[in-house]
Amino acid sequence: MRFESVKPYLPWITLVILALSVGIANPAFLNPAGLIDLVADIVPLFLMALGMTFAIYIGGIDLSVQQLGNLVTVIATVYLAKFGIGVALICAIAGFVFGTISGFVTTRLYVPSFVSTLAMGFVALSGAKYLSGERALSMDATLRNESFGWMFGNIFGIPHELLIGGGLLFFAWFLQTRTTFGRALKAVGSGELAAVASGLNVDRIKILAFGISGTFAAIAGLMFSVKLSGGDANLANGFLLLAIVAVLVGGTPLTGGVGGVVNTLIGTLIVLVIRAAMVYLEINATQQQMVFGIVLIAAIAMTIDRSKLRGVVK
Amino acid sequence: MYELRKVDKIFPGVQALKAVDLKANRGEIVGLVGENGAGKSTLMKVIYGAYQPDGGTVMIDGATVRFQNPRQAMDHGIGMVFQEQSLITNLTVMENIFLGYESQFVSLGVINWKAMAEAARKQLAKVKLDIDPATTTSRLSFAQRQLVELAKVLTLEERVEGDLVILLDEPTSVLAKEELDLLFELVRELTKRASFIFVSHRLDEVIELSDRIYVMKDGEVVDVMNKNDADIDAIQHKMVGRDVDKEYYRELKQKPYGDEVLVSFKDVSHEERYRGISFELHRGEVLCLVGAEGSGREAILRTVFGLEAPASGAVTIKGQEITRYNARASVDLGVGYVPRERKVEGIVAGMNVFENMTLSQMQNYSNGGVLRIGAEIGLARDWIERLSIKTPDVYKDCGGLSGGNQQKVVLAKWRSGGSDIILLDHPTRGLDIGAKEEVYEMVREMSDQGAAVILIADTLEEAIGLSHTILVLKDGKFQKRFDGKPGSKPTMYDLVHHMI
Repeated sequence: MRFESVKPYLPWITLVILALSVGIANPAFLNPAGLIDLVADIVPLFLMALGMTFAIYIGGIDLSVQQLGNLVTVIATVYLAKFGIGVALICAIAGFVFGTISGFVTTRLYVPSFVSTLAMGFVALSGAKYLSGERALSMDATLRNESFGWMFGNIFGIPHELLIGGGLLFFAWFLQTRTTFGRALKAVGSGELAAVASGLNVDRIKILAFGISGTFAAIAGLMFSVKLSGGDANLANGFLLLAIVAVLVGGTPLTGGVGGVVNTLIGTLIVLVIRAAMVYLEINATQQQMVFGIVLIAAIAMTIDRSKLRGVVK
Repeated sequence: MYELRKVDKIFPGVQALKAVDLKANRGEIVGLVGENGAGKSTLMKVIYGAYQPDGGTVMIDGATVRFQNPRQAMDHGIGMVFQEQSLITNLTVMENIFLGYESQFVSLGVINWKAMAEAARKQLAKVKLDIDPATTTSRLSFAQRQLVELAKVLTLEERVEGDLVILLDEPTSVLAKEELDLLFELVRELTKRASFIFVSHRLDEVIELSDRIYVMKDGEVVDVMNKNDADIDAIQHKMVGRDVDKEYYRELKQKPYGDEVLVSFKDVSHEERYRGISFELHRGEVLCLVGAEGSGREAILRTVFGLEAPASGAVTIKGQEITRYNARASVDLGVGYVPRERKVEGIVAGMNVFENMTLSQMQNYSNGGVLRIGAEIGLARDWIERLSIKTPDVYKDCGGLSGGNQQKVVLAKWRSGGSDIILLDHPTRGLDIGAKEEVYEMVREMSDQGAAVILIADTLEEAIGLSHTILVLKDGKFQKRFDGKPGSKPTMYDLVHHMI
């Protein structure tokens, strides 16, 4: 059996093996109620990774997501009193606008996405700092519960966060597999030149992909902010690395075109299991980043399509 | 003496070389001919070390050798003069000549430029090129660059003991007659030290220069001829596997074209690629743009497709003057583009047959942005049958189809969407004979059904055989127009004469 033919199933295999190993070492891990809580807890990260999937699927990357998340936690906290639930719309629009600007800079000014999104991330960060006055803000508990209380809670033992995550996953999956936009994304990711030569408006497709990534990052930030009932310019720190790991470990390579949002679900679950394992092994938070850094490199090395790189990596 | 014995090369799905035997004796010039896709370039790559053979042996003076990369081959005296200019144009001539071998001029970590220039002058003298070695390469003419490439390979003379084997890949395609004579004279002189393997499409030149000629077809050597026994017809017969007659290009099916003008260029100029181009393309017409590389042919196609905006002049498609150039607008006007780089621009590898076929016309296979995948599959099944595309099913990744079938998918994409202005850029490049004939058949069929075709042909014969009208271009300027009615077609000589 050749590696190439196993490759698509690798993320699933990894997930099952990891989960079982952790479960054998620590049977408490596989307790359904605890597991559901763990998964619900990771939904904001999942949403961020879901958006990032669109950027990576077209062969780009979005390094601004964490800072967008930070900015949104501040926006949500600051304007909750004034706009109530309407602040959600403001957050989503902010994310979309930041994303499309990154996309615009990438496609029209020919700035590679890793730079354009990194730069836009810093813009967002400094916006967050300005808006928050570099302080940790917190939401008024009553207002929070009135406007966003519905985000948390249970229906038949299923946390609302999971339903939200599931709903957005379905939306993203539908977009990717069932719409002309999704097909165009795949064409851009698999063979951009052929997409151009087929008359697709490749620039617009790419800009929109970054817009979606930004929007999802904003939704993730909002959820996180409501969850922690506050916002500050550093709240979402630590999300970026994990979101990239989730996408790549899930099997969407940096070269784009294959994988997709369902893969990102698997990738996020792998991240969750690795994290659980590290907690069990008493690896502290600082060292966890090191482990995820190494996992990221391994995932890229295994998934990248070298034929597309034509031997050039810079 | 250089020798290949029973050399095989296998790529996924194709055996590119089948038990190839080839010998180049000391000081011999060996010709290598074959249709595109016959395996010449693969064979060349095996010889100069870019590919490793999957079977058979490579021998130099009776000893078996195996090269992991071109540098190892060079160390054994095997050098390649590339067809597609391998020089780095923003480096000087001497830097190019000694690229990767600068260490001989280095002392204490610093390059002694004077010594390098001196050495470069010596190399340039070998090819009788009198230029300053410090000239930036981009300032040279194509012919001069070709000679610099040869000079670069000739540095092997000093570096390697023993005989050299020099590969010449289509060295004549950009040269004028005098330059050609000079090159041939040089090559003959150099046989004192080197044997040559000469690859060219121009059979008359191959016969003139070579001592023996290897003819390849479908990855095999089908014949080896001595210079004196070789003539163009015989070689062509072997290359194609049968006589090449007029019907190869389906000339009997060529019908007069209509009056309706689909595309018109009026004094159109591009910033750098072409100037003052005017022509009209009619319904049912096959119009061929002929010229050397850099003559502006591709840019004109790309302008029609909306990818390159001209600087001045009027382009009209179906009566509508184009003001904003973008591919979508051209596609909506019925323009379809079959690019030269089939694998990267024609099909999307990684997407399946039906996804590729509807890529340019997804609006017809969706409601409010939601794809009607059933309808897409129906279309694909229909066209797979109409064009007899060989694929196991509609879900097959197009990257895994053969070249001919990939080309059919690209054509199906445009024809099924109703495109009737078809731009063909080297549509038969790299296809085998059978697949080529199918493409010719399709071209005739399209023009019968009222489509207009702008063609950049792979060979001059193809251009002459297929087209109603030929426009010859040189350096971005229009040279001459030929009408190619069956029976009164221009000859290759007529065209070449205006190309260079």
